[in-house]
Amino acid sequence: MTALNRHRALLDFTVAALARRRVKTLALVAVFAAVVFLLASAMFFAASLRREAEATLAGAPDLIVQSLSLGRQTMIGAEAVPQLAAIRGVTGVEGRLWGYFYDRINGANYTVMVPDTAAMMPPPGQVILGEAVPRLRDFKWQGTPLFLSRREGDLVRFDIARTLGTETALLSADLILMNEADFRSFFNVPAGQFTDLAVSVRNPRELSTVVAKATIRLPEARFVTRADIARTYQKLFDWREGVMVALAFVALLAFAIFAADKASGLSAEEAREIGILKAIGWDTRDVIAMKLWEGGLISGGAFLLGTVLAYAHVFWAGAPLFAPLLKGWAVIYPEFRLTPAIDALQLGTLFLLTTLPYAAATVVPVWRSAAADPDAVMR
Amino acid sequence: MIFHTPILTLLLVSALAALVAVWSAGFGISVLRHWDLSSGARGQLLLERRTELVSTLFALVMAAEAAALFLFVFNADRMAALFVGAMCAVGTLNANGYGFPALYGQIASFFAAAVWLVLDHVDRLGRDYPLTRVKYAAVLVIAPLVLLTGALQLAYFLNLRSDIITSCCSKLFTPANAGISDEMAAVDPALALAALALAGGLVLASGVQALRTGRGHGLFALAGAGYFGAALLAMVSTIALYVYENPNHHCPFCILKPDYGYIGYAFYLPLFGATALALGLGAVSPFTARNSLRTPLPAVMRRLTLWALAGFAAYGAVTVWVIARSNLILFG
Amino acid sequence: MITLHGVSKTYNEGRPNEVTALRGIDLAIAPGVTVLMGPSGSGKTTLLSLVGCMARPTTGRITLAGEVISSLPERFLTDLRRRRFGFVFQRFNLIRGLSVLENVVLPAAPLGAPRAEVEARALSRLEALGLAGKARMPVEVLSGGETQRAAIARALVNDAPVLIADEPTANLDTALAHRFLDIVAGLRAEGKTVILTSHDPRIISAAPVTAVVELRDGAILQVRS
Ligand SMILES: Nc1ncnc2c1ncn2[C@@H]1O[C@H](COP(=O)(O)OP(=O)(O)OP(=O)(O)O)[C@@H](O)[C@H]1O
Ligand SMILES: [Mg+2]
Repeated sequence: MTALNRHRALLDFTVAALARRRVKTLALVAVFAAVVFLLASAMFFAASLRREAEATLAGAPDLIVQSLSLGRQTMIGAEAVPQLAAIRGVTGVEGRLWGYFYDRINGANYTVMVPDTAAMMPPPGQVILGEAVPRLRDFKWQGTPLFLSRREGDLVRFDIARTLGTETALLSADLILMNEADFRSFFNVPAGQFTDLAVSVRNPRELSTVVAKATIRLPEARFVTRADIARTYQKLFDWREGVMVALAFVALLAFAIFAADKASGLSAEEAREIGILKAIGWDTRDVIAMKLWEGGLISGGAFLLGTVLAYAHVFWAGAPLFAPLLKGWAVIYPEFRLTPAIDALQLGTLFLLTTLPYAAATVVPVWRSAAADPDAVMR
Repeated sequence: MIFHTPILTLLLVSALAALVAVWSAGFGISVLRHWDLSSGARGQLLLERRTELVSTLFALVMAAEAAALFLFVFNADRMAALFVGAMCAVGTLNANGYGFPALYGQIASFFAAAVWLVLDHVDRLGRDYPLTRVKYAAVLVIAPLVLLTGALQLAYFLNLRSDIITSCCSKLFTPANAGISDEMAAVDPALALAALALAGGLVLASGVQALRTGRGHGLFALAGAGYFGAALLAMVSTIALYVYENPNHHCPFCILKPDYGYIGYAFYLPLFGATALALGLGAVSPFTARNSLRTPLPAVMRRLTLWALAGFAAYGAVTVWVIARSNLILFG
Repeated sequence: MITLHGVSKTYNEGRPNEVTALRGIDLAIAPGVTVLMGPSGSGKTTLLSLVGCMARPTTGRITLAGEVISSLPERFLTDLRRRRFGFVFQRFNLIRGLSVLENVVLPAAPLGAPRAEVEARALSRLEALGLAGKARMPVEVLSGGETQRAAIARALVNDAPVLIADEPTANLDTALAHRFLDIVAGLRAEGKTVILTSHDPRIISAAPVTAVVELRDGAILQVRS
């Protein structure tokens, strides 16, 4: 009870002191919040991309089989399909057709695919487009046909069946879905050849056995499981997030130095106040506790403010500050709402990252000012 | 895999803790050499004031280490997706040989800092600061521990490779696999619960004895440490099964996940807090007879003992609640 | 009862700017009103700070109610100081920007008494000193005499039995100095000990004063009762 009352009284004083130095306090919180904002935006953004990729992967096949030649992926022949289908535990094998198309008109790279479900299959001569394609081509009105040029003087016309919504997000923005016959003629792919094969397996636990057996039957092939892809994405995103965070870290460090400098260069007024407090009976500990409350209020305020702003920036505004940096593996990037992906780990990390450096940077200057001689104000 | 926000944060905590440890150890040496309260010299006054800084720093380090302990496990859990064979924290920690030692180091550092804070608190009750030399001798022991923990953590994170195939809780905590963790898992649930109840009885008896006579806190600390062990054993062999409602899932980390309503925190926070207090009381118990501590100490020890008992009781209560609520039936 | 035995205080010991402010002081301070007088630099303030547990003597022993306090750690000195002594400083040293009441309750903050209780005590002190109407005002707007009374209220908020005041009337005119002496007489009647420094003859010869200690060059010249 006594301890509680003491902290309450110290907190009262702290609040009054901060209110008296309102402008200085607000400036400090604002600068600090800006740093937290950077850090939090980077973390939220990366986490949300990661979740996005995970969601996309959830629909990916259990196993992808590719044919390798000279260490590079080549087309795989249809004769592999029955070989794989004969393995126990395999419930389905489907040949997939997809590739990239470099658009010479605007330098963008599209992913061209034959969809695996009938519902998504456009009729011959038509295509279904990802959200970014019409935007990039600057289509002014509904029904504008898409012309693709494979080389000088070549022009293939497709009518647009429909455009995919923005909610399907990152990985489908640059997509062009085509009919199988159109695909084969457009890319000159002979019948019986596929880009790769998608294998579904009855029980995910049997996947490693299936891969082992398939390796014996198709020694030249490469097998990519869904978990492999997931890990690649994780690593990709973690690495990018890490770079961002390292940058924000430097900002944080700069701020910590700034805070330490501020805390050690007490104004004459503040130093006199601490002298008075010590003279009228505050212990060194009381002053330190009071100052730690002050730091707690400042860093807590900056944490809240920075986090809320980062949330708004990333999830409502679509992270305009970072998008080009983090997504940038293609010329085009989609316009889409990131789905909020916040967990306790992120918030806990962020909180530690906010309060700890500030406390560490200010504790020694705080102690130094608190250790003043109590009889100093008598002179 | 250093460029991972939680990892950077953990390394930051370790680095700061190491800095504090090294500096405090250096300061501790000068305290051991020059401390003389009867001196009116300015040097002694400055030394005294500097001890305030050390106390503050240790309090901060302990708070940060406690937070880092949970962050470490939490992060390991989330990183499980990066390792083949890992489903939760266990798999990630197993990804190389430093994972579990780093975790144990983290736990030991937390307890050491907590015990030191209890010593510090008691020391400052006595008008002649009777434990100052003991306290700073202890710093000289704690500093290497903190450094070692930091080094283990760094080694662990530097050696994390996501192409490693690791084994997770289902492998580690099964009787088929040799080692201490599977032995813990293989203990008969009835036996484990009986051990927990027995340890609880001992803690209660020694705690009540300490409350009544104001002595025997060393025994209470021993009983508390025993309870800690019994609690972890019961967790792995029995309680976890009830939480997961699965007779084969023994993992002591998965209960921290949101999937189980973060129930793990209701177990571990009181358990770690109470054990830290009990150990602190044990560390103080040899000095209760010091002249200057005779008047102020008993009330403080009483209060800390009550808190420790409350923490142990909370662990027991959550255990009973989980077992009563679970759909799993192991007995009968 | 406060006693000093062979107390000396040296600042900056062992350095070129070493100053011995007090040497070999033997003194007993009884309840009542004690005035320390002497020329500037004679060690009055230094003596107050030692008696008031603000600093430790370089050598010698100080006892307070029979307990030796000269070798206590700073923390316990502080604890003694805030329970036993109230201070009124020469420049009053109220904290600007806070109200009178907020200033007066400050010494109670570390003691952890409930806020309502502390505020009630502070208000009754202010009331007794005729400042109740100004409790919520910022201290900057107070007059010199009011500032001093606010400082006295602050010194007494923890119900300290000893009031220590350094040059309390140096900044006051005659009327206010008399008002201060009235307050001191009232405190004495309450059974409190008051220790003052002054070179003001009005104070030294005033009615409530029970003892005058004359200092010169850090040593006691004479003690009159
Ligand atoms: N912190 C300090 N460091 C160095 N010298 C000091 C310190 N405090 C006081 N002194 C010296 O000690 C001597 C006594 O000072 P003190 O303030 O006690 O005198 P005083 O009697 O109160 O004088 P005045 O009437 O001017 O207030 C002076 O020579 C002063 O310069
Ligand atoms: Mg003076």
